[in-house]
Amino acid sequence: MFVFIVRRMLQGVLVLFLISIFTFFLVNLAPGGPSSLVDFQSTAAQRDARLKQYGLDKPVHERYVSWLSSAIKGDLGTSINQGLPVGSLLAQRLATTLQLALAALLLASIFGVLLGVAAALNNNRWPDHFVSTISTLGMSIPNFWLGIVAIIFFSVQMRWLPASGSYTIGKSFSLADRLEHLILPASVLAFSLMPNVVRVTRSALLEVKATDYVRTARAKGLTNRMILWKHTFKNALVPVIAILGLITTVLFSGSVVIESVFGWAGLGRLAIEAANGRDYPVILGVTMLAGTIVVVVNLLVDLLYAAVDPRIRHD
Amino acid sequence: MKTNLFSSSTRVMLALLLALSILLPSAFAQDYDPDAVLTFATNADPTLNPWTPGAVIESNLINTILFEQLTRYSPEDLSPVPALAVSWEAAEDALSWTFKLREGVKWSDGEAFDAEDVAFTFNDVVLNDELGAQSATQFSQVSTVEIIDPLTVRFVLDSPFSALPYYLASFTGILPEHVLGDAENPLTLASFNKQSPVTTGPYKVAEFVPGSFVRLVPNENYWGDSPKLAGIVFSVIPDANTQVAQLLAGQLDLVTRLNVSLLAGIERDPNLEVLRQSQNLYYWVALNQDDERFTDKRVRQALLMALDREAMINAVLEGYGTVATGPIAPLLAALYNSDVADYPYDPEGAKALLEEAGWTPGADGIWEKDGARLEISMPTGQFGYLVPATLLVQQYWADIGVQANVDVIEWNAYIQQVVVNRDYEASLAWWSQPPTPDVSPYYSCEAATTGNNIPNYCSEELDQLMADGRRALTQEDQVAAYNAMQEYLAEELPYLYLWYPDIISVKNSRLQGFPEINASTAFQFAAEWYVAP
Repeated sequence: MFVFIVRRMLQGVLVLFLISIFTFFLVNLAPGGPSSLVDFQSTAAQRDARLKQYGLDKPVHERYVSWLSSAIKGDLGTSINQGLPVGSLLAQRLATTLQLALAALLLASIFGVLLGVAAALNNNRWPDHFVSTISTLGMSIPNFWLGIVAIIFFSVQMRWLPASGSYTIGKSFSLADRLEHLILPASVLAFSLMPNVVRVTRSALLEVKATDYVRTARAKGLTNRMILWKHTFKNALVPVIAILGLITTVLFSGSVVIESVFGWAGLGRLAIEAANGRDYPVILGVTMLAGTIVVVVNLLVDLLYAAVDPRIRHD
Repeated sequence: MKTNLFSSSTRVMLALLLALSILLPSAFAQDYDPDAVLTFATNADPTLNPWTPGAVIESNLINTILFEQLTRYSPEDLSPVPALAVSWEAAEDALSWTFKLREGVKWSDGEAFDAEDVAFTFNDVVLNDELGAQSATQFSQVSTVEIIDPLTVRFVLDSPFSALPYYLASFTGILPEHVLGDAENPLTLASFNKQSPVTTGPYKVAEFVPGSFVRLVPNENYWGDSPKLAGIVFSVIPDANTQVAQLLAGQLDLVTRLNVSLLAGIERDPNLEVLRQSQNLYYWVALNQDDERFTDKRVRQALLMALDREAMINAVLEGYGTVATGPIAPLLAALYNSDVADYPYDPEGAKALLEEAGWTPGADGIWEKDGARLEISMPTGQFGYLVPATLLVQQYWADIGVQANVDVIEWNAYIQQVVVNRDYEASLAWWSQPPTPDVSPYYSCEAATTGNNIPNYCSEELDQLMADGRRALTQEDQVAAYNAMQEYLAEELPYLYLWYPDIISVKNSRLQGFPEINASTAFQFAAEWYVAP
């Protein structure tokens, strides 16, 4: 087990290193330049002066080496467009993204699993059709549209909930206030992710239900509830954990659309702003952070498999 | 003997009482709500320094409140009026301007403002080529700023620059020398730009949460009357639909530069006022003058005549705009010259002009001349309505036998290709400049190839006309000089002039004392804003 973890971590470091090379050269060689240095009204002389200030007149490989040597020491550089250290930008944005991600993950997994179980137990009867209709809606409605409709209904028409931001500006910390701001974006995000959980839960349960040991259990005269929780559900969990792992990595890297619509200062928005404005150090920082999240979550998911299913061992 | 009903002292007392009874109610009655906090939207994190490269649309309005300038615009006619400077005059040879500064102005940290700050802002920041400050090219005629005494400065010029007081009113805030004087780079000091700048405006920064909001509170050191609001919040809301939803929900008090397609729900809301404003801003199509096909002005005129600009304004702007005749908008009433060559939609006339210029229709209907074809590469950037407008141009040109190959590219890459490398044959974009007729940064030979003269148009005659304008110190002389310049531009068409768009802002009607001429001007008078109780 220990050997497995160490090996996976070393692999992770290698993956991150490759990501950094690939991203660095890709973004630096892409057309365009940092928007603060190369804007519509600036002249050639202004651009040259600014590029020199930021060391962007040096060759790309030289810049990569100097980026890597300070990144290893934990210094991810300074944002070109914002002038703030990339490390502190990431920390700030990650905190906001995590609030939203954890809330959405909680909602998506609770409702996703419950609806999936309900659908599997009532295979091909009306609850199954009902759940599949909701899932189809969640899959197919774009979440920026759902977000705006939710704002128009809950905040413009009914005036129940705030339309944007993660807390009321100028007010001291209050849990109720934070939750009020969290409800809309987390629900919209969960609604679009939930269908994956529903479908995987439903099909995994159906598959397990058809196995011999479930038939044996039924033959023993166990109640349906006993069969579900003792035999079926636990064995159906592995694919559900896999899909939750995938969703987690997506969520923790930030949801660009939801963060823009609801005015949340999260990682997704930071990433898109950095990409549009060619803010090289920030693009690299966000990519490395997202890469790290994927590596860590995948490792945790693998460990969780072993915990749920004793047949899976990492040795 | 006449008896006085009241003794003299009693009469004095009575007079005083009468005076008090008139004065008191107005002194105690609240004609504004002192606890009101206004909330505005900005589409991205602002940078709180008007000269930092990249501090543009998301930063301009907040910086206008925070950083005062030597001059600002009159809300009546946009002429320069006093701000940090109280008076100014040009030397007789037009080679320098002297500004008297306002007395008793303090920075938000309590230090006194004086000529050192003005000299620092220009000599060490704007005119320091190594910094590449935003808008610095507008001051390329300024050689240095001299301190005459603590409250007098002199702008020494390389060549006459009559528009200087106009340019000084446009996003040119004065920076505090005592704070930034020792900074390695005064434009990128994060503790200033992204946290707590030291400023002279009526409101100052209380809190800046990157990505979320900037909160302003009254500046107790402000030189004018006390500001009438408890605060102003700039909330970062990148999505325009969300901004509109928040306006409708009463959670935002002002949105500027709104896309006209979002106006539908707003016009029905009794609490919201739609302001139809204008700026010195025009859209154009540039034809690269390095390309020999476009050096004949008849070709340029034909390509403009082929466009139905009225119809384009209706299609792209839903009618919110007027056909442009040149680079000076009608907003500058005293200097705008409408009596110039115009080019109403006339596809047949356009074809006749091309024929006159020696072009003949080829086998596929595309015009040809000496082996050259009127097949034009036309890159466009994903920004605002540039793409739909470009596609309309493509259709109108196709109608007369001109083929435009439109290539839609991402905005940042577009700037690199079209603005930096001038790698294009035709392209559609816009210029926005201070309300002055001095357009040389966009038209002079000096600005071709490397500056803002995107079509690389160069003519000695035009340079002379613009120099005449820069030398003209009286309005009479300016009118004469700039009338001639506008006639020349309309005839020659260095750019094909498209339209002056209306700038749409929407405000909650509770915000009062807000000059309506345009947002940049309104924000220079933030001290006068109030909310009725």
